[in-house]
Amino acid sequence: MDSRDSSSSSAPNRDGTAGDDDGVLSVTSALAKDAALHFQSGKFVECVDILNQLKPKKEDDPKVPHNIAIAEFFRDGCSDPKKLLEVLNNVKTTALHICLLMLDVALACHDASKSADVLNYLEKAFGIGNVSQGDNGNMVAQQSMNLVGKFSSVPSSTSVSDASTSDLVASVNAFENPLSRTLSEEPLDEMFSALDIGGQNLSRPAGLASSNDLPRTTVDRSISGVDLKLKLQLYKVRFLLLTRNLKLAKREVKHAMNIARGRDSSMALLLKAQLEYARGNHRKAIKLLMASSNRTDAAISSMFNNNLGCIYYQLGKYHTSAVFFSKALSNFSSLQKERPLKLLTFSQDKSLFIIYNCGLQYLACGKPILAARCFQKASLIFYKRPILWLRFAECCLMAVRKGLVKGSQASSERSEIRVSVIGKGRWRKLLIEDGISRNGLVGSVEKDDWVLGGGDGQPKLSLPLARQCLYNALHLLNSCEWSNSKSVLLSNSSFEENKLSDGASSNNSNNKNLPSIDAKSSTLSGGLVNLNGDLKEPKGGANQEIIQNSISYYEDICRRENQMIKQALLANLAYVELELENPLKALSAARSLLELPGCSRIYIFLGHVYVAEALCLLNKPNEAADHLSIYLSGGNNVELPFGQQDCEQWRVEKLVDCEEPNGGAAAAKNPSPEALQDFVFLNPEEARGTLYANLATVFAIQGELERAHHFVMQALSLVPNSSEATMTAIYVDLVLGKSQEALSKLKHSNHVRFLPSSLQLN
Amino acid sequence: MKNINSNIRIYKLHPSKTNNSGKYYSFVKILEKNSEKKKKEKRMGKKMLSLEEQCKIVNLLKSSSEQKSIEETVTEFFSDSNLRHFNVCYSLSFLLQDKMMLSSTERLVAFAILHRCYSSQKSAANPFISFLLNAACDDGAENYERAFILHLLGSGNSNDSKEFLKQSASDYIKNFDPSSQTFPQGEQLQQQYFEKVDPEPYTCLLKNTVVKNVLADPDVPRGCDANSAEHVSWLDLQPVAKSKLGSGDRDEALTGLMENLSLEGLIPHWIRPVPPRFPVDNELVWLNPDNNHELQWDQGMCADTSRGAAVRDLIAKALKGALEPNQQEQVLGELVKDPKLVYHCGLTPRKLPELVENNPLIAVDVLTKLINSPEIAEYFTVLVNMDMSLHSMEVVNRLTTAVELPKEFVRMYITNCISSCENIKDKYMQNRLVRLVCVFLQSLIRNKIIDVKDLFIEVQAFCIEFSRIREAAGLFRLLKTLE
Repeated sequence: MDSRDSSSSSAPNRDGTAGDDDGVLSVTSALAKDAALHFQSGKFVECVDILNQLKPKKEDDPKVPHNIAIAEFFRDGCSDPKKLLEVLNNVKTTALHICLLMLDVALACHDASKSADVLNYLEKAFGIGNVSQGDNGNMVAQQSMNLVGKFSSVPSSTSVSDASTSDLVASVNAFENPLSRTLSEEPLDEMFSALDIGGQNLSRPAGLASSNDLPRTTVDRSISGVDLKLKLQLYKVRFLLLTRNLKLAKREVKHAMNIARGRDSSMALLLKAQLEYARGNHRKAIKLLMASSNRTDAAISSMFNNNLGCIYYQLGKYHTSAVFFSKALSNFSSLQKERPLKLLTFSQDKSLFIIYNCGLQYLACGKPILAARCFQKASLIFYKRPILWLRFAECCLMAVRKGLVKGSQASSERSEIRVSVIGKGRWRKLLIEDGISRNGLVGSVEKDDWVLGGGDGQPKLSLPLARQCLYNALHLLNSCEWSNSKSVLLSNSSFEENKLSDGASSNNSNNKNLPSIDAKSSTLSGGLVNLNGDLKEPKGGANQEIIQNSISYYEDICRRENQMIKQALLANLAYVELELENPLKALSAARSLLELPGCSRIYIFLGHVYVAEALCLLNKPNEAADHLSIYLSGGNNVELPFGQQDCEQWRVEKLVDCEEPNGGAAAAKNPSPEALQDFVFLNPEEARGTLYANLATVFAIQGELERAHHFVMQALSLVPNSSEATMTAIYVDLVLGKSQEALSKLKHSNHVRFLPSSLQLN
Repeated sequence: MKNINSNIRIYKLHPSKTNNSGKYYSFVKILEKNSEKKKKEKRMGKKMLSLEEQCKIVNLLKSSSEQKSIEETVTEFFSDSNLRHFNVCYSLSFLLQDKMMLSSTERLVAFAILHRCYSSQKSAANPFISFLLNAACDDGAENYERAFILHLLGSGNSNDSKEFLKQSASDYIKNFDPSSQTFPQGEQLQQQYFEKVDPEPYTCLLKNTVVKNVLADPDVPRGCDANSAEHVSWLDLQPVAKSKLGSGDRDEALTGLMENLSLEGLIPHWIRPVPPRFPVDNELVWLNPDNNHELQWDQGMCADTSRGAAVRDLIAKALKGALEPNQQEQVLGELVKDPKLVYHCGLTPRKLPELVENNPLIAVDVLTKLINSPEIAEYFTVLVNMDMSLHSMEVVNRLTTAVELPKEFVRMYITNCISSCENIKDKYMQNRLVRLVCVFLQSLIRNKIIDVKDLFIEVQAFCIEFSRIREAAGLFRLLKTLE
């Protein structure tokens, strides 16, 4: 204490303004000491009290709000991490550790631009994070020295000799005038900002110190230059993976591996595995994953199992992936038994993510009710994502089609044509009843079908619920589009131009491989993306430029993904409204679908079919015919509404690999049989048959029976198993008076079930 | 054979149409009544008639032929409140379309029921009106049947005109005189009974083009005609025909039909493709271990960094006078231990001259450690401008061997040294300083810190000016050897 007093008085600064602070200093330091003692003994309430007394006396000191934030966080039982982050965000000067925390948060939120801000800040403030320029540490050190030299030195501790700069503290803006310190020969060790200075100053409250955390990487001061370099390199890779800049990520992960040589390289290996997974090199990803970690730790092995589950899912091996997901979940639950949720370990709980993966896997296996339960649990973290609600709606549709919903019929039952055989001999009559007329979906709507959780907390899957979910998703999507449109006005204008000029190419936009981008996207990112979708590598190695390019590339990907989701939402909505017998609403949804820019050919096909059906139901068969006849050529011939390549997107195995354009792709093109099951949609020929059948129906309604007959016969040759086409054919025969032909069609269709009439009457 | 049901005007109730007109009230009521029985219906599927209703109707029709008058049967029918009249009427109209299903007398009774069902309202409001009209105009039908329907239509509500119903159905057929009846054209009848009808209510075309969903599939041996003359004589031969091969039982077929009738006929079907499940692309969540973040209290808040405090004290002392050797060692030791300490040891550029004069070794050490700091230039400026002294020169000299000094600084320092020597008034002090500068310059030259060429003229002039001093002459000779 004495020494402090003497030092503060005997170290007048050159402006001669020192000394005024002396009185304040001693009071504040006494308060600070008390606060620290309270903090260490876990008396957070008292601690916060004292800090609040301290605050008006040291308004310029970022350490005070920092300590208040963490003391309040502990006082409140670590219940509000969001508030903590907000406060830390507002602490003007930002310490390295807080930067890293923010980077983690931004990456976890998939917030690419925020991540980029923090990365840029790190680079500016600490002179690190350059994209691989030279592998030698000295060189980096040299560069960082130069970089930091450009920035003003900001006083960090109270004792910094030059007191005139203390005014600066208040004006320091975290991102414009970054905190940095003068450098010594060990520049990387110099990165401890204001908040960290002073060796053992940083201390955790005694009760909170956790010894059983994940294997600790490094603690505070012990971060060596190389460790930090590795850490930041890994952050960069994670950023690039987030923005799906795979080519650059590959380069950077290689660099990370080099840095990690002779150190703990498990994280680098894990990221490399993720990279290969993202590139579709699934076997390689498995190998890397195996090499990446010791699986003795439950948390690690849980993630390991989850990631293997992801890989097997993408390989189309849903049952294997199910095994891994459930292993991952049980790893976590064992973890939770040992270590109850506490403090910062809340972020360690990944079970909701795994549960979401489980949901997808159940959906792929055709178990909509289990899937919906998973999605419901995962909605705690995913409720703002449109895709979650789309998945919910898909669960509903699947449950309805499988007949798992009260009042619904399985699709197999619906496609069945029942024929009651009545009477004998010459009195024998056949009474035809088809499943489609039998279904009574609308009648079964009950009040509690409209809410997500029923009395038992389980989602009650139904068509009205599907509709509600779809509206939720559309709402989320539109509001996020709206907010995006504010930030990317420029890109939007070029987008509009493009919409006008290349309607033709937009049809191909559903091409699966992300890197093969249609013309539209390349203009979106301002020409930064070449035809192969790779970011052009800036020659100068300008880090910021790379980050900016990655962001615009990523924003472009997100925009296209949202477009795809929107197509799916509107198509599903039109379908659901038709099922609920709301042709007007179905019509408007289907029309919106057709108006979407860059709509994929499959969805255009669905849009036309739904619009046409809705128009038919609204007694406008002529307009319906118009919609379908865009696929007509030469009057009586229907073209393929979409090609095989349009279905690729729905295949499980993706086309890979960028490195071997000639070799590997062919092998990947043959999906396993299990994978094929996943593609439940019509193939192009079946879609053509559908068009034939529906045109036949329109013609039948319009009374053009001969034409209807021609079309329905074509339809039956393409989709012989369609009970609808069979029924239309029988109908046309009957109207044409060809009852014998109708009879023979009935007898030859494999959807027909003959039921002996029961004799109840006597 | 174009046997489309559309001639039965079944109003499909559309929400927007229900309150349109009171005319449909009774019909609506019937439907409402039906919906009360919905639960029961659900159990039975979507069948038109309950088991009870089927029995009643079949018995009613059977009992009607000989004994009872048509009026009696019809009254009996309508007095039974358990029957859902619309459903029954619809079933009857359905059976009537098949000319074989009902006997001729049963047909008459059925027509009478269809007519009576809505007789309290205008004929146009009867949902079966067009069915009745078509039957009346059907050239293929028996004349007595057509005449009977015309009678019904013409009877209205007055009791007098209902006389013909007082006889039994078979009597009506027996007493029928074909010559007494003229058959008006269809259009004429349409105008008469149909015209005043409101515009067609909303019906869905798709569902309005319904075709009857019953097909005859006679299972008779090859060569037998399913519609053989047998049918005509059926009335007379009633019980006998049963055993005949391939003949079957009419009652069985009748009840079977009744049992299975439903409102829906056959319609052309639309294929409604189910949208494909959205592809799973980047949707699966890949997990990476979190970085470990711990919240930490910042002890630096409002406090001097205590570790530096002792050093700061000593530095402050060092500005005022030479430190004891052990104190000096302590400072140097602490500065080595904590490389960052130098930044907050309390030294500013302004204070540098004092440190240089009192503790040159510490000054050298501090400046060496600050060499990469952006503020080093400021320190150099102060160093260049301070009064020349043995200590300052010693500091610079030591610095030149420890670190690489900016050339500009060294040059300026030399220039300053020279001009200090020139300006000094005290001869003794001047001599002393000149000797010092000369030794200093020789050291710089020998250590190749400076390039002589840069300063040749200046240094040469200095040597000549002070040639009286031995060290200056020595420096001059050194310059000459390097030339």
